[in-house]
This record gives sequence, C-alpha cells and structure tokens, in this order.
Amino acid sequence: MITTPPKHRAFSPWRIHAIASNALLELARLKVFYFLLLFALLIIGSSAFMMEFPFHEQFQVLKDLSLGAMSIFTWLLAVLATAMILPKDIEDRTLYTILAKPVPRVEYLLGKLLGVLWLLLLSTVLMSAMFALALATKEHLVVAQTMREMAHAPQEQLQAALRDVHEHAFTSSLVPGVLSIYLKAAIFASLTLLLSTFATSSIFTIIVSFVIYFIGHVQHIAREEWLGSAHPMAMKKVFLALVALLFPDLQLFNLVDDIVAGNAIQMALFVKTVGLGCAYTFVYAFVAYVIFAYKEL
Amino acid sequence: MADSLVPAISIRNLTKVYPIPFKRERVVAVRNLSLHVEPGQVYGLLGPNGSGKSTTMKIILGLVSPTEGTTTIFGRDSSEVESREQVGFLPENPYFYKFLTGEETLFFYGKICGLRGAKLRERTRELLALVGLEGARDRRLGGYSKGMLQRIGLAQALVQEPRLLVLDEPTAGVDPAGSREIRDLILNFKTRGITVMLCSHLLEQVQEICDRIGILHQGKLVREGRLEELISIENQTELILENASPDLLRQIGALVSGSDAKLIAQHQPQRTLERFFLEVTGKEK
Amino acid sequence: MKKVHLIALLIVLGFGAAKAPVEQRLTGEHRAAFFHGAKLSLDLRQQIGQMAFLAALSGFRSVVADLLFIQAHTAWEHVEWGRVALLLNQVTALEPRNVLYWDTAAWHMAWNASVAARYDKKEPREALRIKREREYFHVGADFAARGIQNNPDRYNLYERLGMIYRDKLGDHCKAADVFERGAHTVKAPDYEKRLAVYELAQCPGREREAYARFRELYESGEHERLPSVIKWLGILQEKLNIPASERLNLPPN
Repeated sequence: MITTPPKHRAFSPWRIHAIASNALLELARLKVFYFLLLFALLIIGSSAFMMEFPFHEQFQVLKDLSLGAMSIFTWLLAVLATAMILPKDIEDRTLYTILAKPVPRVEYLLGKLLGVLWLLLLSTVLMSAMFALALATKEHLVVAQTMREMAHAPQEQLQAALRDVHEHAFTSSLVPGVLSIYLKAAIFASLTLLLSTFATSSIFTIIVSFVIYFIGHVQHIAREEWLGSAHPMAMKKVFLALVALLFPDLQLFNLVDDIVAGNAIQMALFVKTVGLGCAYTFVYAFVAYVIFAYKEL
Repeated sequence: MADSLVPAISIRNLTKVYPIPFKRERVVAVRNLSLHVEPGQVYGLLGPNGSGKSTTMKIILGLVSPTEGTTTIFGRDSSEVESREQVGFLPENPYFYKFLTGEETLFFYGKICGLRGAKLRERTRELLALVGLEGARDRRLGGYSKGMLQRIGLAQALVQEPRLLVLDEPTAGVDPAGSREIRDLILNFKTRGITVMLCSHLLEQVQEICDRIGILHQGKLVREGRLEELISIENQTELILENASPDLLRQIGALVSGSDAKLIAQHQPQRTLERFFLEVTGKEK
Repeated sequence: MKKVHLIALLIVLGFGAAKAPVEQRLTGEHRAAFFHGAKLSLDLRQQIGQMAFLAALSGFRSVVADLLFIQAHTAWEHVEWGRVALLLNQVTALEPRNVLYWDTAAWHMAWNASVAARYDKKEPREALRIKREREYFHVGADFAARGIQNNPDRYNLYERLGMIYRDKLGDHCKAADVFERGAHTVKAPDYEKRLAVYELAQCPGREREAYARFRELYESGEHERLPSVIKWLGILQEKLNIPASERLNLPPN
C-alpha cells in the first residue's frame, strides 16, 4: 500500500481549484441560485406592467430595474456568501482538517475567494442572459408594433423610427455597465473576506461591510474636500483624509446609471476604472492573507 | 532506513502563552514541554480538560505557533507546510462539509493533497473499504451518524498515506460498537507501521491500544513512559486460572501462607460492561 | 490590537494614499467624459445634499426614480397636475443625468398641464385660467432649463426649451439663443442650427444676422437648400431691402 506521495509544490493552482470549486459547490448546494428566480419574476413582472407606456420608457424601466437588481443581488451575494464561508469552516473545525493537510494558508484563502468570484460570475452571466432575453423580446414586440402602425408611412420615416427603437434597446455600452456591476461585487467579496479574517462573528462582518458600502458612495465628497480645499481646522482635515484613505470610492464603479441614461463611456476610461477595481480586490485579498497567515486557529 | 531513527514527533522545550485580549494577564497553555514519539508507536497524550493537549496538537500541526521551543514531524519543523505531508489529522467532533457525499469528501481531501485522476479514485475506493463506508459513499455527510462521521474522518486523515496520524478524542460521543470499530482501525494502522498520536480522556481505551503515554497537567508533562511500566504494581502478581478446583485453590493458599507473600484478593474476574454490551447487542467480532 | 492588525491597517492606509490621487483624477475624467468637457454648474451645497440622498439609495436609485415616474404617469391619467409636477421633480432629482425624465417633465407641464389649466371647467374666470396656463409654460421651461444645467452636453433639452419659448411663450429671440446653444452640442443633428436661424429671423432687430446665416447655409451646398430656407431668404431679402445686385438668385419656391 505504500506508494510515494506526489512531490509537494509550494504553490499549486490545482489545490486552489479544488478549494474554489468546493466553495462554489457549497454555495450552490445551499441553494443560493434560487434568487435568480426572483430576478426573473422581477423583470417579467416589470415588462408586463409597463406595456401601456411609450417604448422609450419601457426600455428605460426594464434596464433600470434589471441592472439595479443585478447590482443589488450580486453585491448582497458577495457580502453574505463571503461573510459566512470562513467563520463556518472555523466553527465546524473543517478548517483544521484542511490546513492540517499540506495546504498553504494563502491557497486556502485564495481558493475561497475564487469560489465566491466564480459564483458571482455565474450569477452575473445568468442574470445578463435573462436581461438580454427580456430586452430582445421587448425590442421584437416594439419593432412589430412600429411596422404595423407605420405600414403606410414613407420608407425613410419607417427606417428612422426603427433606428430609434434599436437605439433604445440593446446597446453595446451595456456590456461595460454589467462588467462594472461584477467588479463592484468582486471588490466586496475581497473586502468582506478581509473583514472576516479578524471579525468575531458573521453578523459583525456583514454590518461593517454594509456600512462601508454606504460610506463608499460618499467617499468622493470627503476626498474632494480633503484634496481640493485648504482647511484651517486640522481635525476636520484629518477626519476627511481618513475617510478618503480607508474607504473605496464606489461612485466610480456606478457606471450603470449613466449608461442607461444614454451616456456612453470611453474605452480608455473604462479600462482605468477596471484597473482600479482590480487593485482594490487584490489589495484587500492581500491584507486578508497577511492577517490570516498569523491567525492562531 | 535512516527514517526509523528520526522521531515521528519531536517536541523540545515547548511553551505557549496566550495573551488575554484587553488585559495584561496571560494564560500559559503549555509549559516547557519536551517529548518524543518514535515511529510505529501508538502514543496516548492524556490529561484533563484544559491541560494543554489541544494546544500541543495544534502546534504539532502548525495551526498555532509556539511562543518558545520547536516541534518537528519526521525531522521537519511544524511551521513548514511540507511537514504536513506526513500527517493525517482528525479533530474532535469534526463536521466536515455536510453538503458533500462520503466519496466527494475523500475526493476533496485527496485533491488538496495533490492526488488526481485514476489514482485519486483508486485511493478513495480503498479508503472507503478500509473504514467500511462503501455502502454510504453516495450519501451526504449531513445524514451520517456520529460513528460514520468519525470513520470518514479517519479516511480523510489517511488520504495522502501519511506516516503519522494525530487523533483528537476519536471516539468521543460514539457508541460502544462504533468505538470498538475505531479502536480496531487504529490497531490496524499500527500493524501497517503508521505512528499514531492519540489524545483522549477515555482512559480505558487508551490503556487498550497505547504503547506509551504522557500525562499533561496544567500545561506540564507530569508522567511519561511505556504503559505497562507506568501502571503495573511491581510487587504484585495476578494469576488468572481456568477450571481450578477448590482443592487446588486450597493448596495454593497453603503455599502462600507458608511463604513471605501475602494473598490480597481472590475473586472471579468480571467481564467488562463494554464486552457484555457488545455480546448482548451481537456486535462482538 | 495585535501587531499584525497594525500592519494590516498600515497597508490599507498606504494603499489609500496611493489610490486617493488616482481616484481624484478618475473622478475628474468620469465627469469630463460624461459631460463632454462641459462644466457642471451646480451649487455645491445642492450637489452634496443631492449626492448624500443618492448614496442612501445607491443601486436602487434608478429603480426608485422609475417607480416615482410610473406614479407620475398614473397621476397624469387622473389629471392631478400638481402631483405630476411634484413627482417629476423628485424623479429628476434622483436621476439628474437622465434626459428622458427632464424632457418628459417639461413636455407634460408646457403642453398638457397648461392646456388642462386653460380649459379647466371648474374655473369660470378666463383671466385666471390664462394666468395658470402661462404659469405651467414657465414650469415646463424651468424643468428644461434645470435639465440643461445637469446635462449641458445633450441637445434634446435645448430643443425642448427652444420649443417652449417658440410655441408657448412666443419669445423668438430666446428660442433662437437656446436652439443655437443646442446646435453646438456634440451629437446635435443638422436641423438644430436651422431651428435657431428660423427663430432669429423672427427676432426683432436680428433679421440681418439671420439673413447672413441663411446665406451661409444656402451657400454651404445643395443639401442645405431646403424649401423653408429658400422661402425665408426670399422673405428676408424683401424685408431688409437687399439691393438686387446682392440678392441670391433663388429657385422658384
């Protein structure tokens, strides 16, 4: 029965993959995907409800509602799933059995984070698919209606009307919008993981994560006050600086509202925003590792 | 093999102090502990609750870092991840992942030990057979009994074929039949040359399977040595006879009274309650 | 606090110091991109109040705006104009970057609410009804103007405001100016500049300016020689007594 075990590797993507897919499986078997049904109901319901409105408004509401719900759902999922994943392993002593194997702590943490990021990606893709389907169906209906109503109009006018419909339906600028939603959720998964490495309970982690979410949306006001104006009051300046340094500027990732309102985003700017988001995700994960590496279990 | 000279576990001058948050006091969990476990032994680490057993075990496994001193596993420092290639660990009252089946559990632990493909499947099959859980391979752990959980725990501990097993209260909360199965498994491991370190306060069980024991009390090792040496009463001898006639017993009594020795007790040995229970419930092997 | 927690805090602060200027620049770039270089002319206090409000509803902001908008629609069906105005005010405060909301609000007020006020059967005094009608024109113009403040880069609202001045308030000079500003936005269609010039032609004292602009259009090529351009050139040549030698040889209309 004695065979030589495989040579130990200092860093193994295979082990990380095993931990990540296990985390994903855990979340899937906790039936977290059921929220997708809620999402489907929401967009179908809103589509049906908005039938009598002019088509601009129908598209507007469908996009707002779908993207708003996607944003909320992915963020909630990121916070709740990550907040429970580490404390649960500690409480059940499963963590001991894993770390008693030749698994470096960085791999364990990375695996858990990737598992959540995977879950978020899957959810985002599924919700986007439902959203795209709803949008395409609505577009199809509106086009058919326009053709019917303008059957006797000159060809040029009909074409212009149809162009108008297409412009209000799916636009490629929605893609960066959806990506920014995912990015924000990824930042929160990483941030929540960091919180849970030193938090004493999941509730604490969740509450702090929520607070950061709200402060993050007004951080830019503090930052602009701090960097932009001279303050005689040192206390106030220190306070503003702390807010600006400690919290992420989440408003930068709120591209969706502008995109739905028809303001296209430039590629270069989008790439920079994604870069910043990735930096946040990485730094939070790194700090989580630093704390976890020295944690006494 | 040179390996046989290297102790399976070597603990030298180990001290662990826990600070109490927001207070200046500190708790000394382990105090200047030194002990060695030779390869192939079954070592029992005994002690009341809070004596420092769990802390010692966590330090051996690298889950907690020592304040002073070192621990090694087959010569490798416990702080190195590689040292854990040679260890299998079963914590007290483990839950594992309830959402996984028995087979998936072993797949998971195999994967994080670097096993894959046919080798992983083969090893999983082998271990399920070893711990007698082939029939429950596709059931989720959420539906496992306490004894089954403990057995799947042993299987996961063995997944990468370690030379050392560290078991924390392996039979706590398990019924006598299950407990006996686990005890038999441990003896089985011993015949395969696996070193076992066992933490327990079920003394009777320790007595049955351990070669050597150490007793911890308030973070200090108070006694250590081979089991027989520690518990035998050196100036007494026990004779157990079968089918002895009253006449024979009288003769022995006469011989004793004619010597320097003194007869302290004479009684019929009793079955242990455990053995009786197993006979009645028909689980005696 | 353990030493490692202090280290963690220092890393976060260090990263904060590195990212703050980056964020500051990105915020500027986002604004520049979404406003196409136009400056946001909002009072700072108002902006902070608004932003805090938006933050509280982050993520749900647009959805809340939609729901209020639907309520406004229902109020319209029930002919409750005061309520429509109030709700549309909230909607535009929530989503100031959405032109559709400003445009709809301005249109409802200037075209629908005003007409309803003018023919209000419950108000027998005509003078009052006319006064109310004009008030709604101004409410509509106000929506469009505030929309322009928030979205100086989009032509739609200039067009709406210009139409209110032109069709409702009869102020051709102001209409000309507004259309002209709209014509200078990035995505303005060609007809915006013609709308401006038509109004200019009807603004007392600026007919000569209008004539010059019409000539410019006419001479820019065949695609600008529309019947209305030709008609206005003819009218202005007569009105301004342009000497025959300088007149354009216009095709018969």
